[in-house]
Amino acid sequence: MKKFLSIVLALVMLMSVASIASAEELTELNTYETQARELETWNIHYSQAAADLNVLCNTFDGLLTNDNHGNLKPNAAKSYETPDGGKTWIFTLNEGMTWFTKDGEVQADVKASDWATGLEWVLNYSKNDSYNVSMPAEMIAGANDYYEYTKALAESEGAEAVQALDASEGSKFAEMVGIACDDAAGTITYTLVDALPYFPSVATYNCLYPLSADMIEEMGVQGYRDVTWENMWYNGAYVVTYFENQNQKVLEKSPNYWNDANCKRFDKVTIKMVESAATAYQLFKEGQLDHVSLDAATLQAIYDEKEDAQFKQNLVESRPTKYSYQLHLVYAKNLEDGETPDVNWNTAVANENFRKSLYYGLDLTGYLARTNAINPQSCQNFCYTGNGVAFTSDGTDYTALVRKETGLEYNSEKYVRYDADKAAEYKKAAMEELSAKGVTFPVEIDYYISGASTVAAETAKVLENIFSTCLGDDYVKLVTKTYTTLGPEVRTPRKASFYINGWGADFADPINFLGQETYGDEQAYYSNNYSHCNENSDEGLIAAYKEFTDLVVAAKAITNDMDARYAAFAKAEACMLEHALVIPCSYEVGWELTKINNYSKVYSMYGMQAYRYVDWETSTEAYTTEQMNEKAAAYAAE
Amino acid sequence: MERDSAKSIESAKGAGNLVKYILKRLFQSILTVLLVVCVVFFLMRMMPKEYFFTEDELMKFTDQQKFSKLEAQGVMSICPTCHGSGLLESGEACPECLKYSTNLKKGTGYVDRSVFAQLGDFFSNMLEMRVFNAKGKEIKTIEPVNVWKWISARLKGESPFGELKEGYSPRLCFNLGRSIRLEKGQYVTDVIATKMSVSMEIGMISLAFSLVLGVAFGVLQARYKDRIFDHIGTGYTVIVNAVPHLVIYTVIMIGGASLLGLPMRYDATASDAWKTMILPIICLSIGSTAGYMLWTRRYMVDELNKDYIRLAKLKGLSDQKVMYRHVLKNAFVPLAQYLPYSILLTVGGSLLVERFFAVPGMGPELTNAISRYDLNLVQGIVLLYATLGILGVFLGDLLMTLIDPRIKLTGKGDVR
Repeated sequence: MKKFLSIVLALVMLMSVASIASAEELTELNTYETQARELETWNIHYSQAAADLNVLCNTFDGLLTNDNHGNLKPNAAKSYETPDGGKTWIFTLNEGMTWFTKDGEVQADVKASDWATGLEWVLNYSKNDSYNVSMPAEMIAGANDYYEYTKALAESEGAEAVQALDASEGSKFAEMVGIACDDAAGTITYTLVDALPYFPSVATYNCLYPLSADMIEEMGVQGYRDVTWENMWYNGAYVVTYFENQNQKVLEKSPNYWNDANCKRFDKVTIKMVESAATAYQLFKEGQLDHVSLDAATLQAIYDEKEDAQFKQNLVESRPTKYSYQLHLVYAKNLEDGETPDVNWNTAVANENFRKSLYYGLDLTGYLARTNAINPQSCQNFCYTGNGVAFTSDGTDYTALVRKETGLEYNSEKYVRYDADKAAEYKKAAMEELSAKGVTFPVEIDYYISGASTVAAETAKVLENIFSTCLGDDYVKLVTKTYTTLGPEVRTPRKASFYINGWGADFADPINFLGQETYGDEQAYYSNNYSHCNENSDEGLIAAYKEFTDLVVAAKAITNDMDARYAAFAKAEACMLEHALVIPCSYEVGWELTKINNYSKVYSMYGMQAYRYVDWETSTEAYTTEQMNEKAAAYAAE
Repeated sequence: MERDSAKSIESAKGAGNLVKYILKRLFQSILTVLLVVCVVFFLMRMMPKEYFFTEDELMKFTDQQKFSKLEAQGVMSICPTCHGSGLLESGEACPECLKYSTNLKKGTGYVDRSVFAQLGDFFSNMLEMRVFNAKGKEIKTIEPVNVWKWISARLKGESPFGELKEGYSPRLCFNLGRSIRLEKGQYVTDVIATKMSVSMEIGMISLAFSLVLGVAFGVLQARYKDRIFDHIGTGYTVIVNAVPHLVIYTVIMIGGASLLGLPMRYDATASDAWKTMILPIICLSIGSTAGYMLWTRRYMVDELNKDYIRLAKLKGLSDQKVMYRHVLKNAFVPLAQYLPYSILLTVGGSLLVERFFAVPGMGPELTNAISRYDLNLVQGIVLLYATLGILGVFLGDLLMTLIDPRIKLTGKGDVR
């Protein structure tokens, strides 16, 4: 009898354990976006917006993707190699991939030549309106020439003649562009303008996504330009089964997915559009969402147990987003009229001691607390390049090399860069030097925020206080001003003294960050559109910029040894920071309530793969802080 | 007999005047709508070109991409002098497009398009034909055909739109262009039609509720003036008008979800989709019910104090008859004037309610289109709103004359 009872008991326990185990994972995911981030186009080749690509990365498979550590991972391509040290890249496709409709009807096989069709579409002036053209045009041999050819043809022959071009054998595209596709062998060979060791990371981005020539034949060029979720051909993990603009999207797992056996997918993902974070929180409480990022007020209320105290044990710190925020100083600022140069500021900011007094003298803890009130120091950022963009051969994050060069290491207890003594020395030296040049103190620093945002206004007050207490009212005065639209009202007339701006990478190389700040380079986005460093004539400033630029150029030239390349870039970045040409500011690390293990998600600090709903570990109950910390520890040990 | 013929002459004159009046108002309305559309069209194009891009686009787009996008939107065109190269044959910078360039050695290759040419595009788009196959699937569009070509082709017995496959039919759909941002590539008319139907469904139900409840409670308030019922009604009206609507909506949303278990978001895919409409409808009805209550009460109280009511009462008519046959009928006339306007207004949806409950309707569309600089969509929505507004007032006037034949819209003296 005892034996029987023990068997029954064991069976009951097994069954209960099994039922718990089976109940642990979510089979359907309810997620959200705020209404300002609605998808605008279903054409993956056209889109350059995260709001579109966060959905489309689930409906299309590119050559490669990322794993949960940020490493490149095969996707449509089962392997890739370079026979010549990075100038030629050969991708070999998996077999059995198909194009299908939203109802799962197979339309055609996915072929190597679909990648040529996709690239032709991107480079064709009259098909893709120059969207996503910059990366392939800069990297792939002949791509820029083909783009210019289509542009010239559009002018002379009209758009229809250009739209009639394709990527078939013997076409102008095949003749001009460095891509060779072998459908039988399933290989795609890219020939680049130069050896680019990071090129495989570009293969995760939509500019190198496939496009079915059969679909174009069926719907026509205009049809694909205006493609919708109802008529497009899919080859990805999910198909869209419902879409109502500003309401919701429903994704269901593709019935014909080639990789079904090797990946875990949700049966259904519903992306709900919500009015605000506060509404999302209400929906989470009602069980209608599976995760929610908390706004500052809600987080504080839960943390202080003033409201919904039951959630305190579930508070989970998010992983940093891919954006690295910087204080971009403006070196050719104008006064309020937008025309007269602000000589006082321009002279002051060109002085290295002045910049260094800002670099070392600002304790930004209060500012970081605006993003993360509980643990502000986790938002500390001492590098220009974002975390997780590139890794050395031993797995070291590139930013660790930069921090080693600058001697700044993170400390969860204090804001490490702040050094009151150093700041005081630099301030004294700057005041002496600048007074001799006729600069009047306090130097007025104009900081612009959106007039519609009360959050930005509150944050600006915090910044004003930081400038005042850390640097002294005798030295600088932060003046907050407002705009309706930043570009035309502030940036073009150059009215701001600095901007706080975030940059996220498109591919895995520091050049994607540092290349934006170089001197005398037309392609350097921040130099030409924000800092205007090329227009300040101060010799010291120009020398510092040139020193940094030379180091970047030298690092860029190293293509055969990635560790040496990253070490050289780290030196260049440290040079930029030591001259305080740009001041690193913060990362976005908020808090959330979630039923998703954040450490199981795709971790891509560049490109568009981060929102793939594949291989996620979930729970039907919200994770507790402890549980997530355990997941984080296990992840770090992997 | 003479009196009858005089009457019919008078009535024919009246009908003739009414037709004249309608035609005149129609003409004025078309002119007003055109004026509004043109003003908005020009205003939108007076904004700096940076407004065409989001901050993200401004950050990531190359100059070439920016100009290319402006060209695609019809705002700029490839420079006819240098054919897009930015340089003259001599190698000098093209003077035509140099003014748009930050590089002094080379023009941009693009120049501004005349705003009148853009306006012409807008109107000619309306005459673009969409060709559908037998299954109703759109196949292609055909450029507008000018009148002479159309007439000559018809006279020859040919199709003015060229050879079309069997089963294909061209339709004039009064296209207002395609959305360039919010729903890229979709026809503005299609976007508006989809959104409009959702807004109208919710709006009409809410209007019916508020009309029935508002008028009924207004009548009761007037009948029991200065008694408890009247005070409660007045209190309700004051609260609804005094408290910010967002606060009321939040209370309704949280209360409805936690106490009654009602869904907090509109969801047409839900198994009980009607339930998801309840909270938005309540929110929409709350304000308009208060409005109908307020005005019904006010007009009825006014009527109750008039001499003809006293006379009717003296003649022995029951309170109920006086109230419903005379007072309500007359008090309803000014309310009726706004009824067509209110019905048509449901098409426009509600910005706050629709955004709050994620109703995919027309409400937030105009502000979204303006903020994302979706010019065609802005133009289409403005055209719709202007038409509805003018039509609503016009129909209101006509409805008033039907309810109260004493009111004349034409002639001299005591007319509207």
